[in-house]
Amino acid sequence: MAYVSMGEAHRRITEYLNRFCDAVSYQDSSTLCRLLSFSSNSPPLLSLADALNVFQVHASSLIRQSDKFSEYGEILAHLFRSLQSYRFGNLVEAYLAFEKFANAFVQEFRNWESAWALEALYVVCYEIRILAEKADKELTSNGKSPEKLKAAGSLLMKVFGVLAGKGPKRVGALYVTCQLFKTYFKLGTVNLCRSVIRSIETARIFDFEEFPRRDKVTYMYYTGRLEVFNENFPAADTKLSYALQYCNPKRERNIRMILKYLIPVKLSIGIIPKDELLQNYNLHEYTKIVQALRKGDLRLLRHALQEHEDRFLRSGVYLVLEKLELQVYQRLMKKIYIIQKLSDPARAHQLKLEVIAKALRWLEMDMDLDEVECIMTILIYKNLVKGYLAHKSKVIVLSKQDPFPKLNGKPVGS
Amino acid sequence: MATEPKAATAEVVKMDLFEDDDEFEEFEINEDWLEKEEVKEVSQQWEDDWDDDDVNDDFSRQLRKELENGSEKK
Repeated sequence: MAYVSMGEAHRRITEYLNRFCDAVSYQDSSTLCRLLSFSSNSPPLLSLADALNVFQVHASSLIRQSDKFSEYGEILAHLFRSLQSYRFGNLVEAYLAFEKFANAFVQEFRNWESAWALEALYVVCYEIRILAEKADKELTSNGKSPEKLKAAGSLLMKVFGVLAGKGPKRVGALYVTCQLFKTYFKLGTVNLCRSVIRSIETARIFDFEEFPRRDKVTYMYYTGRLEVFNENFPAADTKLSYALQYCNPKRERNIRMILKYLIPVKLSIGIIPKDELLQNYNLHEYTKIVQALRKGDLRLLRHALQEHEDRFLRSGVYLVLEKLELQVYQRLMKKIYIIQKLSDPARAHQLKLEVIAKALRWLEMDMDLDEVECIMTILIYKNLVKGYLAHKSKVIVLSKQDPFPKLNGKPVGS
Repeated sequence: MATEPKAATAEVVKMDLFEDDDEFEEFEINEDWLEKEEVKEVSQQWEDDWDDDDVNDDFSRQLRKELENGSEKK
């Protein structure tokens, strides 16, 4: 840290105090945002932190001495303490002071009638989440249990309560919701998302479309992922497709993340991505799965799932992809049927279980006829194959009309 | 030498818990954008009518060989 004289420190701190108080009295939200953005590590904030470290306790008397500053004395004192700890890399201390600052700021915000400071409130919400994550890392590396992100979640919930009512501040509720989603997903407590979602989706007083685009896209990404976990694929398709359609095209990482979940959803309702899509967004883990579906290659599906098992399990789509097996079976049955039709059109609609077993053996799946029959029963039950099983003659008799119904954008078995 | 990589792996695993949850990248507070053609294109890169009757691919040809080979056996 560069040497800062007492005089220089005094000048920097007074300047910051003046800018803060002016920003509040002139309702200048964008200046206020800059004054609060810790994580931006902006030079003015860093040099203020250095000044505070030179000035130490005198900063609080500086605040008290002036009526203009002391009106926001509590807010500013916590903020200064947090910034000082942040500069020294004491992140748990920085978090604790920031939490006190945030509470005081939210209290002030609640009293302001208009929503002028909404963007500054966004910055506070964002910073508290990021600071809590950093503090938790510090706790973990010191062998203590991380708990600050959870605390940040409670504070964000409180902010949500301030915004969710009627009035001009309501437009900010979705931003806080998205910060809550990020918090809960990181903590692995996604069931806590439910009450916020209910509040957003059942409110008649506010039309969803009126929220800012960036929040709508983020919201649809997270609620889409929740629908994937719930295996509600049509809803997941709607939400993730919305996120994809309205996402900023320059945000390639976000588009890729949306696709990472949308692709398994689309596959499960019988829609496949074009190769360019997988290539453009570097989603090669899906290439073989798509090929397996196209061909009816059960062995390839198995291998593709094994190859990327870790990745699929971590993102929670493994079970979705595993269920594609039935569609691959359907495709294989159709291929066998078409091949039979080439040599013996008259009897092509009769599939011998023996023949199916032979195809499966070739794909390294050893099954006896009872097992094959069982799988065929499932395919018929799920309406992937139309026809009936002649148990005694060990044959499936396919319906002459549309023996392999398409899913047409609906999940298997619906 | 033998212990060092071990410690490094433990660290990686720990970090992973924090990093890898597919967190959506934060948009700027005032970030706005127009609906662009490019993204519309992305939304259209899907096929729902891929389920053709073509059996001329490698896989189908091998399958056919497999099925027809054995047929005289039984």
